[in-house]
Amino acid sequence: MSMFEGLKFRKVSSPIHDLDPRVKFFYVIAMFAVAVMYMELLPLIVLFLIQVPLVTMAKVTKQWIKSMRGAAFFASIIFFTNFIFSYLYQGQQALPSILEYSMAMTLRFIVLVESFSIFFLTTSPDHLGLALEKSHVPYEFCFAFTTAVRFVPVLAEEAQTIMDAQKARGLELEKGNILKRVRNYIPILIPLIVNAIRRSLELAEAMESRAWGATKNRTNLYELKLRRGDYILALLTVVMLVLAVYARWHIPIPRIMEIFPWKASR
Amino acid sequence: MAIIETEKLTYTYPGAEKTSIENISIKIEEGEFVLLTGPSGCGKTTLCRCFNGLIPHFYEGKLEGKIQVVGLDVVKHPIHELAKHVGLVFQNPENQLFALSVEKDVAFGLENLGIPRKEIRQRVDWALKTTDIYHLRERPPYELSGGQQQRVAIASVLAMQPEVMVLDEPTSFLDPLGAKRIFEDIHKLNKELGITIILVEHRLDLTAKYANRIIIMDNGKVILNGKPREILDSEKARLIGIGIPKVTRLYQFLNGKGMRLNYVPLSSEEMAKKLKEVFKQ
Ligand SMILES: Nc1ncnc2c1ncn2[C@@H]1O[C@H](COP(=O)(O)OP(=O)(O)OP(=O)(O)O)[C@@H](O)[C@H]1O
Ligand SMILES: [Mg+2]
Repeated sequence: MSMFEGLKFRKVSSPIHDLDPRVKFFYVIAMFAVAVMYMELLPLIVLFLIQVPLVTMAKVTKQWIKSMRGAAFFASIIFFTNFIFSYLYQGQQALPSILEYSMAMTLRFIVLVESFSIFFLTTSPDHLGLALEKSHVPYEFCFAFTTAVRFVPVLAEEAQTIMDAQKARGLELEKGNILKRVRNYIPILIPLIVNAIRRSLELAEAMESRAWGATKNRTNLYELKLRRGDYILALLTVVMLVLAVYARWHIPIPRIMEIFPWKASR
Repeated sequence: MAIIETEKLTYTYPGAEKTSIENISIKIEEGEFVLLTGPSGCGKTTLCRCFNGLIPHFYEGKLEGKIQVVGLDVVKHPIHELAKHVGLVFQNPENQLFALSVEKDVAFGLENLGIPRKEIRQRVDWALKTTDIYHLRERPPYELSGGQQQRVAIASVLAMQPEVMVLDEPTSFLDPLGAKRIFEDIHKLNKELGITIILVEHRLDLTAKYANRIIIMDNGKVILNGKPREILDSEKARLIGIGIPKVTRLYQFLNGKGMRLNYVPLSSEEMAKKLKEVFKQ
């Protein structure tokens, strides 16, 4: 849960928040591509570190650390599976390189989480919806998207209320075998679904009452405009992409244990 | 011409056996503040849905009789066209706000109408200031209190600059103080902007003093329709069991004891003033 906690948007104003979501998305995809290109630890460390200034600039360090902590569990799973399987495969002699390889794989995942969390922490869902609209996604989908985001906390709260109410009436959720436990959730799901349907009807009524679908040429209160910051980020991203591709084919990448021979000699 | 006019309006929900409203013939004049009340299930919400075309366009079912709003035949005009003239505010504030920021929510209707961005901005800011929530404009609606949310709902309807505003028990999710403030705001919209108000409400204690007219429904029919002082003092109103304001009851009590006050007071302030005058004599 806490990993998702780190993806929750909070309104802060910062140069990163003001960036166009489309440019930020381009950046995330580029990060993704570069991270997948490399299997060595050194460039992945570099990728990890160059994103840290973005986090501090966006003033979301606290939430970002939270999301990283949330990712730690998955990261350790990735680390151990990689480690165990390579170990079984290659044997004991290659231990240091196995270790480095597993760490690299783990860091690759962390870099991905890092860039995604920067994106979600600094992009308001409203702007994201707008970006989708500007990318010619039909308005109905964009609206569904932002509405879904808006109702997640409401439904979560409602689920909790229903759960408490049913528990107070003697429903025991954590009792019995798996089948029984799944069945225990039925008295929670049914009111939740019924409520959701009633809610969506009321929403539809309210939307209709506010001229939903009056014209095909809907306007928008907000506007996406590329500004200086957007060009800078786009440019930086392109430069990074080019450098990364170039380095991939033309520069032999040393392993960390070769740089620090004291480790290898042991 | 009246701003709302119905003639023998009768409606049955799809699949229902009974009519929900029956033979409703009312006229509401421009600038009036109408209080609509009656026991639960008597058809108040159903009637409200007719005013902006949710019935028959959204709910289908069987509608008979005539209804005209702002000179438009409701049956012949789509909801989005009527929405420019009639704003509806619902009971549950949570389910009528969809956006992630207050200002975006207030802009929703205007965006749907395709109004240019600059004008949207102006009208949104104006609506936010009029309802006193300008400082909340960037907050997500779901983090606000019930009263603030209901204000957002009112602002979002107000931004569309309708001639008529219909509010269906807008305060039933609020505490008494929050409710009182909402009623004051609604009164202001009526007095200062001349918006015709139809307010569905049980708490006559708090609202009777603002009304020019009270309409009482029972079992799908309009059974009383007239000036607040007359309606509240009538025998019929008492028998239906609507919440007659306490000051009116006090008036009736004093009247029974032989103390003559020359009109039915609608608020405790009015009562206090009246009593003072009487005691001075
Ligand atoms: N969507 C619907 N489908 C079918 N029947 C409905 C629907 N909504 C209301 N009714 C019925 O129509 C009648 C009038 O209901 P309505 O909601 O208009 O009453 P109300 O005066 O608003 O009551 P309350 O004070 O409880 O809000 C009731 O008998 C109700 O069961
Ligand atoms: Mg109702």
